[in-house]
Amino acid sequence: MRRKMNSRLLTGLIITGLMLAVILLGTFWTPYVPTAMKYGKFSPPSAAHIFGTDNFGRDIFSRVLKGSGTTLAIALSTVSIGALAGTLIGAVTGYLGGAADEILMRLNDALTAFPSFLLALLIVSLVGPGKKYSVVLALGLVFIPSFARVMRAEFATLRGRNFVTGARLMGASNGRILLIHLLPNTVRVLLPALTIGFNNAVLAEASMSFLGIGVRPPDASLGYMLSEAQGMLAKAPWYALFTGLTIVLLVFGVGLIGEGLQMQDREVA
Amino acid sequence: MRYVLTRLGMLLATMLLVSFLTFAAFEAVSGDPARNLLGTEATEEQVMALREELGLDRPFLLRYAEWLAGFFSGNLGVSYSYRQPVGKLIGPKLEISLCLSLMSFVMIAVISIPLGIFSYHRTGGFADWPRTVFNQLCMAVPPFFTGILVSWIFGILMKVFTPGDFPGFRQDFGESVRHLFFGAVCLGIPRIAMTVRMLRATVIEEMNKAYVRTAISRGHDRRGVLTSHVLKNSMVPVVTFLGQTLAELVGAGIVVEQVLGIPGLGRFLVLSISHRDYPVVQTIVVILAFWVVLAGTLADLINQSIDPRLRLGGNRG
Repeated sequence: MRRKMNSRLLTGLIITGLMLAVILLGTFWTPYVPTAMKYGKFSPPSAAHIFGTDNFGRDIFSRVLKGSGTTLAIALSTVSIGALAGTLIGAVTGYLGGAADEILMRLNDALTAFPSFLLALLIVSLVGPGKKYSVVLALGLVFIPSFARVMRAEFATLRGRNFVTGARLMGASNGRILLIHLLPNTVRVLLPALTIGFNNAVLAEASMSFLGIGVRPPDASLGYMLSEAQGMLAKAPWYALFTGLTIVLLVFGVGLIGEGLQMQDREVA
Repeated sequence: MRYVLTRLGMLLATMLLVSFLTFAAFEAVSGDPARNLLGTEATEEQVMALREELGLDRPFLLRYAEWLAGFFSGNLGVSYSYRQPVGKLIGPKLEISLCLSLMSFVMIAVISIPLGIFSYHRTGGFADWPRTVFNQLCMAVPPFFTGILVSWIFGILMKVFTPGDFPGFRQDFGESVRHLFFGAVCLGIPRIAMTVRMLRATVIEEMNKAYVRTAISRGHDRRGVLTSHVLKNSMVPVVTFLGQTLAELVGAGIVVEQVLGIPGLGRFLVLSISHRDYPVVQTIVVILAFWVVLAGTLADLINQSIDPRLRLGGNRG
């Protein structure tokens, strides 16, 4: 079934695609060395340094490229952890039901009621702040419940459908039904959930690094760079401006994709 | 009334559970605070003496009970890094954070509810584009970036307030309120966008229901149906969402407090986490958790007065 993509989805895909291409490029090549401090302090955006330079004389564009890579890597890995574990839990509880379902979902409700950012902060403080990948672990864990809830609901509605009964009558095993028959049908809820999860991950990582309990030097993520930029706001406002706008554009593009996907889904229904 | 009582009972039980889990979690990771405090050069006797002084040599459950009793009588233990009673340290900060959250919450509710309700027409299509873009943009702006922009534009360029120099209510009330106002705006923008989006979706869904068509075919006008029927039916998910927002504002507030230099609870929490000052972290976490549970309960209670079906424990139809 091929339909015309709606304009939101298309715009979102274009913005995100461009961002990804540039960020990917940035992991291999940056116009200047991101950590070199020799390009003149506080020079405003110009043809040579399109985002200007900071107080150490570093090229901000190169730093933003590198930092977006870090942010993207963290966001993608946290969402993967959350989505994989969440789908697994959702599939098992939603499809099989029973007491395990009840218990896990009550626990889930309790966890989702608690603000995820606080929970992640708590986990980081328990695991130890400043450890390199405690952010990924904390945010990944925190994202599991919301994925589990969405996926469980979907698996639970699908399990009573005729095609599932048909497959079972033909002798398909539970594993086969889950993987071959049900999983592809959950994509319509999984994809929008992924876009929302991705955006939450970007924002949460940025917040934590901004607070100094996420990514720490020598690594730099966009959030960490913003906290750095805040200190030189009076002399180099362009640092904060371009770093912040990069986050906004990244989240905006993926947000549009999510909105477009949901719209497309409504049109089918 | 029975519903209210059960709900309050559940509230207490949840709070007890949360406080226990927090206590246990911090117990498990904090290591030996006495050793941490004194450093590696202290002798074994010194460490033992301090353990006794801090009461760390007694059994776990006893200490939990004592800590809980202390929590409600205002005796929250002693901060490791400041050597001061936690309650005295936290009190003024709690006041500031509470003001910030409530201010932002009122802003969100007052702006987003009318916007969400009266933007139900014009769905899909090209005319919808500017609204979607604006909405998505507002959701994409992280509060700390707004905070930076605000302190640049209003602080450095226009000098309306001095970011990072929060005077406190007693010293300079106006300046303090300005700080909190800008903080509330930063916190509010993405949440307003989210609330408008979800309220609008709910109203649209409700307007497409059969009873609305019936009412209109009987000659009521759309506005009238909206205000007298649809609104009440759309409120339940929104109240739940606003309850969550109220809970989440505390978490989001941490970052805004940091950006604008507002000495609130969140900022103190982050500071204490990096100092590994566990008595302080523990207390703040429990206070925040109570706040979250309270917000949820409040939303539930309001909802059951809107929709009596909820009182029977059934799902919304």
